[in-house]
Amino acid sequence: MRIAALFAALTLATRVAAQEPRLERLDSAARAPVAALLDSARAAGLPPEPLIQRALEGTTKGAPADRVVAAVRRLATDLGRARDALGQSADPLELEAGAAALRAGASPGALAQLRRARHQPLMVPLAVLADLVASGVPPDSAAAAVLVLAGSARDADLVEFRRAVERDIALGASPAGAATGGARAAAGVTDLNSTARTGSARPRRP
Amino acid sequence: MFDRIVAHLRAPVRIDPALDERVMAEVSTLPTPTSGRPAAAVWRWLAPLAGLAAAATVLAVMARPTTPSTHKLQFVLVAPQAATVSLVGDFNDWDAARTPMHPLRADGSVWSAVVPLGPGRYHYAFLVNGSRWLADPAAPTASDDGFGTPSSVVTVSGSGRGEGT
Repeated sequence: MRIAALFAALTLATRVAAQEPRLERLDSAARAPVAALLDSARAAGLPPEPLIQRALEGTTKGAPADRVVAAVRRLATDLGRARDALGQSADPLELEAGAAALRAGASPGALAQLRRARHQPLMVPLAVLADLVASGVPPDSAAAAVLVLAGSARDADLVEFRRAVERDIALGASPAGAATGGARAAAGVTDLNSTARTGSARPRRP
Repeated sequence: MFDRIVAHLRAPVRIDPALDERVMAEVSTLPTPTSGRPAAAVWRWLAPLAGLAAAATVLAVMARPTTPSTHKLQFVLVAPQAATVSLVGDFNDWDAARTPMHPLRADGSVWSAVVPLGPGRYHYAFLVNGSRWLADPAAPTASDDGFGTPSSVVTVSGSGRGEGT
């Protein structure tokens, strides 16, 4: 019986290693659960690479196996939620940035609005949204600000907008005020909320 | 009166537009690394105020594209007390041995590494002396994954220009 269990474990470990050699770096307790999550992600059409990187990050940082597995599972869930919000056409980079935005506190509705508002790749706007929320900007304010700019602003403009907001915050402005004021100035509008709802602004370069 | 003062203090503060240029001019006097030397390096980001509050200051530098969609980013860390520094992140499979940083100055206070990155959003951190994890104080913070140490994120656009932090 013991031999059979040992053989089964060895077979599973060999299969996991064959699937993704980098998983050999994981703690043995995390290897099989993470491999199963990767299989599920692939079956669902979600990109496995972000999950692998999260597992490797936890392992390199010395996190316990259960935390590594929990982080990978959480990210897989967020990737699925991002795909639901952004649609089947979302590419892996958009899904990863969308997952980060959702994890930061943005709503799925905000992601869907961004998809409708911008007919260009969404990776940078989603990343800016996530970064703004991480900087302390309330999710609703961050989403409204990015939505105002997302219609026609270039990726570089969005990144510059984020930098300006972070500078204002570092200098003492309230995060919400910095984002709202920055987006208003960049888009040349006076009522950010109404513009965000209608998406009718004609953004200019920040 | 008090309300007016509070309102004034809460108002967003605008930085002198020339500040960036002055800071970048000062930073650009640093020597460039011998490997991966950018032909026309453009300093992408520096948060001097955030850096002042941190034990170390980090900035990322955009360099010329290596392929149409890949750009070299230079990561710089000011860590005067460090004996070794590694750049570790999604771009090197979180392998602490793969991207050692090298001193830019003779006094060993400024460390640098250049990494080619394609479009994407990358988590990364600095490993100082093989044991101390340090996030980039000048870059956005990654969401907490419960690993006990913070990470930073850098986003590289696919639109022809990398964004660097």
